[in-house]
Formats: sequence, structure tokens, C-alpha cells
Amino acid sequence: MLTLVSRRLRNSLVLLMLATLLCFTLVVSAPGNIAVLIAELRTPKATFADIHKIELELGLDQPIVTRYSHWLTGALQGNLGISYKTGEDIGPALSSRLPITATLVAGGATFAMLFSFVLGFAGALWPGRFADVATRTIALLGASMPSFFVGALLIYGLAVQLRLLPTFGSEGLSSWILPWITIGLLPAAVLSRVVRVGLEEAMSRPFALTAVAKGLTRRTILVRHALPNIAPTYINALGAQTGAMVVGAVVVEPLFALKGVADLFLSGVLFRDFMVVQACLLVFISFFVVLNLLVDIGMMFTDPKLRRQGS
Amino acid sequence: MKFLREFLSYTSSLPRLAIWAVGTFLFLGIFAPWLTPHDPNAQNLLQAHLGPSFAHWLGTDHVGRDTLSRLILSARTSVVGMTLVLVLALSVGVTIGTVAGYRRGWVEEGLMRIVDVGLAMPSLIVALAVIGIFGTGYWNMILALALAWWPGSARISRAVAVNVMNRPHIESLRVLGASPARIYFHHLLPATLGAVLVYATADAGAVALAIATLSFLGLGIQPPTPEWGQMLVDALPYLESSPRQVILPGLALTLAVIGFNLLGESIALNRVPTPLSRKILRQRRITAAAWKKA
Repeated sequence: MLTLVSRRLRNSLVLLMLATLLCFTLVVSAPGNIAVLIAELRTPKATFADIHKIELELGLDQPIVTRYSHWLTGALQGNLGISYKTGEDIGPALSSRLPITATLVAGGATFAMLFSFVLGFAGALWPGRFADVATRTIALLGASMPSFFVGALLIYGLAVQLRLLPTFGSEGLSSWILPWITIGLLPAAVLSRVVRVGLEEAMSRPFALTAVAKGLTRRTILVRHALPNIAPTYINALGAQTGAMVVGAVVVEPLFALKGVADLFLSGVLFRDFMVVQACLLVFISFFVVLNLLVDIGMMFTDPKLRRQGS
Repeated sequence: MKFLREFLSYTSSLPRLAIWAVGTFLFLGIFAPWLTPHDPNAQNLLQAHLGPSFAHWLGTDHVGRDTLSRLILSARTSVVGMTLVLVLALSVGVTIGTVAGYRRGWVEEGLMRIVDVGLAMPSLIVALAVIGIFGTGYWNMILALALAWWPGSARISRAVAVNVMNRPHIESLRVLGASPARIYFHHLLPATLGAVLVYATADAGAVALAIATLSFLGLGIQPPTPEWGQMLVDALPYLESSPRQVILPGLALTLAVIGFNLLGESIALNRVPTPLSRKILRQRRITAAAWKKA
């Protein structure tokens, strides 16, 4: 078990290193001289001396390996460089925006989990009835519907027509409800399909037949016997959907005017602010590597078959 | 003729909705310039925000452009972009995947590590970062999406290629003295390509969605070329007065993507070996019968 975890940890570290290398290469391979761009942003009439000074300042005259190690050690200490556009430090800007994205994704994930257990169980208890058909329809529609369209429809229905909720801002609980539903609706439907199909699959195994023969109630069979069987699959799907929600933040944050990390990333992309793009990409990649690691460890804890492989 | 009949019998086993949606989407995409009733970019501020009429079947937008014409021409933007992205991504992915599947050992190991890094990052984030570095523009968007999409096809084509290489006819070709180039181009590549193209159907919907998402963010297709995501974001400020302009492009995009997703799903389902599924179904019936009595 422990060896298995440590092997996974080592793999994740290697992946993270390769990913930082990719991050760095992407910015290095950018067309044009970055120093010229910055010089033009700072002063409209930059001379060659100005450009040369900025080159020295950024360390562009040093060999590429040195620049990579400098950048990496700086990033580990939270020093992610300066935005070319606004001139402010990226580290503090990122950490001030992190809570908003975290609230968005955590709220969406909570909504998705609650929704998925209620509707998944309802679908398994009464197959072919409302809950079953509804989750299947939302799962199919949601996979094909762009999230900006879902958000626009929700804004139109709940905020414009019924005037129940505010359309943007991040003050108070009510302004968070629309973003949470927008980002969590598809994950909710997908996860409830996982619960529903997993329960049905577990119920078709011989041990379920034995439990029925022993005269246990339906609820006991479902909760005590079938539910632990779907835990590894559910954790895997939850991880994938949390990742999808972080990607979804790229669309949901501008739609609801939330100033989160994804919004910073987008403004960096729009103004070709390399350092911001690089820093945000690094944050996203680290998040995904850690998420995958957590999902794998969670699956090991809940799946005895995976656990036995290690020892 | 035989080929046509086989094709028809194959399509009849797929859900009808998917065939209609994908067929309409491709038809509009190919023949769009001859189908639009009006010039999609002709502005007429006197006729802005009109409802449906005989002249403008689906009304006009905030600068008086005909919505139906713009919706139709958007299908072309989508089809062309999607095809370019898939062709680029598949040619890179299939090349890397088949080389890795043909030359096992350290070549495979090295190539697959790169693919793993590519797969660890979500496609949209990678595409956005590439656009952030190289700037916005049509070809940059195509390039960014292709860069984001190739690892998936590389992994699938490697799996298929390994499977093909283990078949007995490859071994006998080696014994007969066929050159590596002959084995690769005449036997491995065609066999892999067929299987990978089937999987690409499911990807097509996701690529169309990504193009629309990038255009929605203002980083993909640039105006005045009509595109569904961009039409939607253009109409968003007028959501309260004319919601039709927001709902129509969203609906068109959703229908096209649903078609591709259903098509991909049913193709994947046809691949399930029948004896296995029959066994699972029988077991399910037994438990379901006991289930009702419990």
C-alpha cells in the first residue's frame, strides 16, 4: 500500500517537472523579442539601450538552462514574475483571486455531489421514472451544450424573467447560486448516472442476489452492500468532473463577471501577457497533477483489489 | 453499389436523430454560400431587432443582419475549422502513435511520456495558453486546438497499432522478408487509420464545441465571419429585449454536437462483443426479477 502510494507520488513529481518544462518552453518559443514588447509598453519611444537594459533585467542574456532553473526556484518561492501589462507582481494577484475560483469550484462540486446522490438513488430505486429519465437527458444535453449557453439560459430564466437572483457580482450567497448551478449542472448529471448505473451493475452481481434471498430490505442492500462497490468509480468520476469544472471556470467567470484565476488567465491570453499566462498555466497544471494523485490514492483506499496489488 | 448498400445498412443501425443532425450540419457546412437568403454581413440599422417575418425568417440582430443567413454560414465556419483541426491533430497523433506501436522499447517509452504530459492537461487550457503566446487569429486557433487534441489520438492509435502488430499476418510478412516500410505503410497504417477515424467521430463534437467556446471568449473566430459562439456573445447584452438571438445560435450548436456525440456513442456501443453483453443482460434480468419481489 505504502510502496504503491510512494510510486504514484514519484510518477506525479516526474509529470510535474515535465509539465513545468513545457510551460517554460512555451514562453521561450514565443515569437518576437519579449524585451522589445516590454520596452514599448513602458515607454512609447524606447531606445536600443532601454531594450538592452530590460534584457539584462530579465536575464535574457543567460543560457536557457540557467533561466529555467531561476524561473523554477522563483516559482517555488511564490515569485512568479511581473505582469508586462500592469507591472504588478503576479504572486499576490494570483493569491487574492484564488479564493473566488475555489469558492466557485467547491460550491459547484458540493451541488453536484448532493444532486448526484439524491437523483442517482432515486433513479436506481425507480428505474424508468422521472429521476432516471431526467438525469439521462441532462447528461446527454449537458455533454453537448456549451456551458456559456447553459449560463445564458439560466440567466434568462431565473434572473431576467423571474427576477429571483442577481446576474453577476460575488456578494452574498444569492449571487453565487447561478454560477454554481451553471458550473455544476453537467457534473451533477454525469455523477448521478455513475451512481445509477453503478448501483444497477452492483445489484446484478451474485452477492446482491444472495442478499435478496436472505430477506434484507431494499434500502439495506443498496446502502450497505451496493454503495461501497461504486466508491472507486465515483471517486474517479468526481475527480474528472472537478477537473472539468476548473476548465469550465474559464467560461463561467467572464459570464458572471467573477474576478478569479481563470479571469486573470483570460486577460493574460487576450493581452499576450506571457508571464501571467505562464503563471496561471503553472497553477492549473499543478492543480491537475495533485487532483489526479488524490483521485488515485482515494481509489486505492476504497478498492481492495488495487490495495492488494501493492503489498 | 455493394459499398453503398453496406453503408446504408450500417447507418440504419445508428440513432436516426444523430444521422439527421450530423447530415444537416455537414450539408449546411458544404453548401452554405448558396443557401443563405440574405448577405450574412449586410448591416441595416433601420431593421435591427426585428422579429420573424417573411423577409427575415428568424428575425435580425442588433445591427440588422439576417439571423438565418448568419446561422447557416456559421455551420460552414464550424465544419471547416473542425475538419482542419481534426486533420492536423490526427496526422500528428497517428504518426506518433503508430511509430510508437511499431518500434516498441525506448522509442515507445519516450514518445508515450510526452503524450502523458499532453493528456494530463485539459485541451481547452492548452489551447488558451498557446493562443496567449502566439496571439489571436484564425490559423493560431486551428494550430492551438490541434496541439491540444493530438495526444488523445496518439494514445488510441498506439493501442490499435500494438494490437495489429501482434497479429499473425505481420509475423508472416516479416518471415517472408517484407521491408519495414512495406509493413508500416501497407499493413499497419491502413489498419490503424480505419479504427482511429471511427473514434474521431466522437471527438468532432468536442472540437466544434471548443471552437465555439474560444469564439465566445473573443479568442477564436474574429468578426465579421459569423460563428455560433460569437453570435451568442454578441447578442448577450440584449438578452432581455431579444432572447431569440441568444437562444438560436446556442440551439444550433447544441444540436450539431448532440449529433456527433450520439454517433460516437453508438459506434462505441456497437463494438461491445455480443456474448459478454448478453451474459450481463441475463444476470441483470435474474436480479431484476428478484428485485421486484423484495
